Amino acid sequence: MSVSKRDELLAKFFSFEGKPSALDGINVVEISKSNLVGSMVGGLLRELGAEVVKVESPGDSTREISPYGARIKGVGIPYLIENVGKKIVHLDLENEKDREELKSLLLSCDVVIDATKPGYLDSIGLGYRDISSKNPKVVYLAISPYGHFSKESKELCNIPDSDLTAQARNGYPSLIGNPSVRPIPLRAGIWAAWSMAAICAVTGVLIALYERLRSGKGQFIDVATHEALAAVHQFPIIVGFLFGRSRPQYGFIDYILYPFGVYKTRDGYITIATPYDTDFRAFLKLINRWDLEPDWRYATDRVTDDVDRIVELDKEVRKELSKFSTNELIKRATRRGFLPEAFRRLVGRPIIVRSYTLKETLSEKHWYIRSSLLKANINGKEMLVPNSPFRMSETPGRMPIEKLKEHL
Amino acid sequence: MSDYFEYVERLFKGGEKREPPLKGVKVIEMTHYVYGPTVGAVLAQFGADVVKVEPMGEGDRFRLGAVWMRMFKKGQLQFLTLNANKYLITLDARSRKAREILLKLVAKADVFIENFRAGLLDAVGLGYLQLSKINPKIIYVSCSGYGQYGPLSRAPSFDVSAQGIIGVAMKSGWPDVDEFYKLPDYFGDYFPAMVAAAAVISALYYRERTGKGQYIDISQAESLFRFFYDITYLTLTGEEIGKTGNVDPLAIASGIFATSDEKFVAIAIMDEEQLLAISRAMNIDLVSQYKDKLRSKECINELSDLISKWVSSRTLDEIMNYAKTYGFPASPVFADFDVYKDPWRWERGSIIEFDDRIYGKVHIPVLPIHLSATPPKIKWLARPVGYHNKLILKKWLGYTDEEIKKLEEEGIIGYWDQAPGMCPPDAWDIGNDPVFKGEKDECE
Repeated sequence: MSVSKRDELLAKFFSFEGKPSALDGINVVEISKSNLVGSMVGGLLRELGAEVVKVESPGDSTREISPYGARIKGVGIPYLIENVGKKIVHLDLENEKDREELKSLLLSCDVVIDATKPGYLDSIGLGYRDISSKNPKVVYLAISPYGHFSKESKELCNIPDSDLTAQARNGYPSLIGNPSVRPIPLRAGIWAAWSMAAICAVTGVLIALYERLRSGKGQFIDVATHEALAAVHQFPIIVGFLFGRSRPQYGFIDYILYPFGVYKTRDGYITIATPYDTDFRAFLKLINRWDLEPDWRYATDRVTDDVDRIVELDKEVRKELSKFSTNELIKRATRRGFLPEAFRRLVGRPIIVRSYTLKETLSEKHWYIRSSLLKANINGKEMLVPNSPFRMSETPGRMPIEKLKEHL
Repeated sequence: MSDYFEYVERLFKGGEKREPPLKGVKVIEMTHYVYGPTVGAVLAQFGADVVKVEPMGEGDRFRLGAVWMRMFKKGQLQFLTLNANKYLITLDARSRKAREILLKLVAKADVFIENFRAGLLDAVGLGYLQLSKINPKIIYVSCSGYGQYGPLSRAPSFDVSAQGIIGVAMKSGWPDVDEFYKLPDYFGDYFPAMVAAAAVISALYYRERTGKGQYIDISQAESLFRFFYDITYLTLTGEEIGKTGNVDPLAIASGIFATSDEKFVAIAIMDEEQLLAISRAMNIDLVSQYKDKLRSKECINELSDLISKWVSSRTLDEIMNYAKTYGFPASPVFADFDVYKDPWRWERGSIIEFDDRIYGKVHIPVLPIHLSATPPKIKWLARPVGYHNKLILKKWLGYTDEEIKKLEEEGIIGYWDQAPGMCPPDAWDIGNDPVFKGEKDECE
């Protein structure tokens, strides 16, 4: 099958119209009370077709959380993206009557997302033990900084959640940055810890729903944002066990591959990865530095905890790359065309890709052909909103932007 | 009523336990490195039977991907953990006979996972359209950089390239330094992999009710777009946020600050209630002072600077005590070894000491998704290349010893090269391993 024919066929295959959703008929009640990560979990479940009721209490600050406070008709960007398509119910949890209303919601739903302070719902008689005794089928997801069990969960339950503090406890900022420039831990520039915790929580809920089909019973799921990232990545734990110490900030270097990262060219930036030795050797040829080959031929030469040694090589590589334009490098890297895998291993082909600014990214046609980004028209202004990443042929995930107007 | 935290603890440590949630689900994965294998890892830790097909000899290249090239008893411990609970077999997909075996396995499977370049498996007859003819109920997930169709779909991808193409690689760094740092530890692989795992489980749920399988197309790019609020911000304001150092532009004030005892603390004030809390701790009325310009660029910087100064004359413990007492987000900044030693993780069971039949005692992570009745579990570490060939051919397909011997002689199936990462540990006794011989399952 030709590439274009395959493309056409698949585009049809992954169309959205007239298809069911995986979680049709599942009712979710989300109580996130000023904690956005709870809405991120609810947002993903909504894309899979669940009916999500978001319980909003007075003073819920998630409306305000937005880059530099940017608002669209009074609400922030994350609030809009995560909550569009949910049913918002305003309930004051400090009010007896409203609590009764919440209780009836909880007793009839399939999934509860509890992103409140650990123990809070229990203290008002609406925690897992109260709900599950009358609604044994309930899947109860708790998402919080330190979890709902362990000594520290109790000790630190008063500390609210944030992505930055979750990154810190997961050891992430200690790996980022260049110590020769500024030897300070550096934050990952996206919500890495919250995103990972949210997708872990969604996975947990889906597992529990699947299991419920067999057992008829729900269960308690506990996800801690300050725990998830490092446990999924595994590296910090394996490194700690094998070496009995931590990796330092490595700047541009990686621990298992070289080169692997962002590099500056004469007129922009590229990312480079050379997974095979042959890729690295091909890379040396294309930057006209075959003279480096004898000393750096094998991965074992290029990957060591002796950082200073690799920095020497890195300096040479950077110097050379700054002489080329981005286009020239990409042309040189792809001039061999798409090699069959077996030949690729022999000949080598470094993976060199332009590092886009966001503006450049958004001008790429690919995202619109695939509906990766959706155009939403609000107040005559066109905005882009990411589509659901769940591309499924029978039960496509959906970002319900057509409901944006109802919300505003 | 007993203490809430004790109640939840009892639920997790001693409460009702049921059968593994994915018991009986059969999975075939043709995967390498991190992205594809992580999808299988999630399913395997929740009880699915996962068969991983590798090329003979070298196997998955991640077998060599040890941090600083440090092997553990000739194995790559991260590979061994990521591929725990899986059955490792080899088949040379170039041979017709091997493909026939693979198709027989697929006919019995519920899920198929792959993370090769888009279109590659179609070309060798193992794409969705081909496999769904043999097994219409199959759930087939392709994990790629930019998706299975569209002009970029054939572009090469690797964690960092996807970060580059969607602009995430330009997000981490200092605003005043002309350097960009990738997200470390293959976030661009692990995060999309978790998206793919969630998609697969939702498809299993749908199939259980309707009997229908499907094709799933997960891309690194679309997964990373999902929580990348900068996109909407750019189209709303025309401004690109770029790199902002340790300041989170979504917070009222934030940073990673040096304490008086030469440690670092991360603080992020997400809303006014938390600003009020830290104001009380600092004993300054920040709320009324800054109320009118909260969340503006200057205000975020000014407030962050004030907090920085306040932190600099206090110890980490003092700051954490304030955070507990008044209620604002703060955390010490851990490094690898702190994470590994963290008693909190050990108590919760997201790090365990595991005693493996072949590799002995190791300390490894478990999925941080705690389910009270059906928790994730590690049952065995990954094995050398081709280790489960005999077991799977016998158990799944009913092959006899003679038939297997013939396949070995013809080179249809094979075993490890004698090199670290692929081969067994020195102490392993090949003659006395009933699992390797296919006489006994791993957990019998």
